[in-house]
Amino acid sequence: MDLIERYVQAVGRHLPHKNRADIQAELQSTLVDTLEAQGAEGVTEEQAVTLLKKFGSPEKVAASYWPEGQYLIGPRLYPLFRMVTGIALSVFVIVQLVFLGIWVAFGQKPLPTLEYFGGLAGSIFSAFGAIVLVFAVLQRLDVRPETKDEEWDPRQLPAIDEEGSIRRGGIVVEITFSLILMAILLLLPGKIGVVISPGAQAFLNPVIIRYLPLMIVAILLGIGMDVILLWRERWETGTRIGKVVLNLFSIYVLFILLAAHTTWLAEHGVTSLFSILAVLPKIVDASNDGFQVFVMQAFRLAFIVALIVTVVDTANMVYRLVRRLINHPSSLILTT
Amino acid sequence: MYDKMNEETIFSINEKLTQELRRGVLVLATLSQLKEARYGYGLIEQLTRRGLDIDQGTLYPLLRRLEEQGLLQSKWNIEGSHPRRYYAISPKGEELLQALAIEWRQLTQVMQDLLKEEG
Repeated sequence: MDLIERYVQAVGRHLPHKNRADIQAELQSTLVDTLEAQGAEGVTEEQAVTLLKKFGSPEKVAASYWPEGQYLIGPRLYPLFRMVTGIALSVFVIVQLVFLGIWVAFGQKPLPTLEYFGGLAGSIFSAFGAIVLVFAVLQRLDVRPETKDEEWDPRQLPAIDEEGSIRRGGIVVEITFSLILMAILLLLPGKIGVVISPGAQAFLNPVIIRYLPLMIVAILLGIGMDVILLWRERWETGTRIGKVVLNLFSIYVLFILLAAHTTWLAEHGVTSLFSILAVLPKIVDASNDGFQVFVMQAFRLAFIVALIVTVVDTANMVYRLVRRLINHPSSLILTT
Repeated sequence: MYDKMNEETIFSINEKLTQELRRGVLVLATLSQLKEARYGYGLIEQLTRRGLDIDQGTLYPLLRRLEEQGLLQSKWNIEGSHPRRYYAISPKGEELLQALAIEWRQLTQVMQDLLKEEG
């Protein structure tokens, strides 16, 4: 019967290679048996169609012959896959952020921001893809990780999860400082500098004045984030992602400020982080230029410290976020 | 939760759980009927005659799995109108059948008592 043969062939396309011919032969034999039982006097196409429909589509029938089901990464390998992905992606992101910090602090050329973050996202997807590929091959080869039924001590269980709780005091202090800083920037832009000696002209930091709006935006966003945290009363996936994005923006702003300071200092003869020593004699002379250079260098150092702190904080946030998403993928849906 | 559960979902849950229950006893039923060698369709007929309706799509993969586990033995028989694969229980399968049968009797006893209390 032509239909039966076509059906058996179609099932064969989805069968595991190893037993294909054998399974096909048995399937054919079974179908013929069933049809014969229905009427030995020749089988109508109608009967064959009914039987095949009852058996199920070729894909469905073939799937039932796969010993562990058809998985890209099956349940045996999945816990290991989750762990490896978590570690690999966290390490990757942290290393990238450290490199970014080094580049921003010591690099001579400005960072092509858009290309950098685009490239970073691409790399994360590639890394994830590579891990999936490796595990898919392991799955295909039916590699089974050892399952250890170790002795375990319930007293070693981790304490109840409090990582989502926020520190109200810290947030209130942060908001206060942000407001003070913003007030200084808004009300006294002309005073950001140092008066060298009574009667001498005040020195204005040209970089800060130029990038004032950008700094205000960053500070306002930070305050907004803190207010949301106080309102929500705990960290959630949405706020964690928001905080990471905000930190990346802060890194960007700090980078711009740092680069502008570096350019200003280079124009005034300071090319390395330590060449401030060279201008020290001028400061002793209390010449206005020398003092300006010293102050700008101090600003630059402060920005470098701020940048390092922000990068470390961001890396920590990303690590927690990735770990959380991998351990509780549903949290992305439930808490945003 | 409960108000979302309409009749349709209860029906499909019922169907799924019934299927799982049947699947659970299938190994025992199959092993019990293969003391003499039978081919697939013959086994289905035998089980149906004894009151256990079984989906063909479930039985054949199961027979292969049991054979891979060494609980069944099979060989092709070319006598008759076309070749047929005959399955019979192996000594290892016999041993397992004894153990499973004891387990089954205990379990049905316990379940009967439990359900009696329910009813």
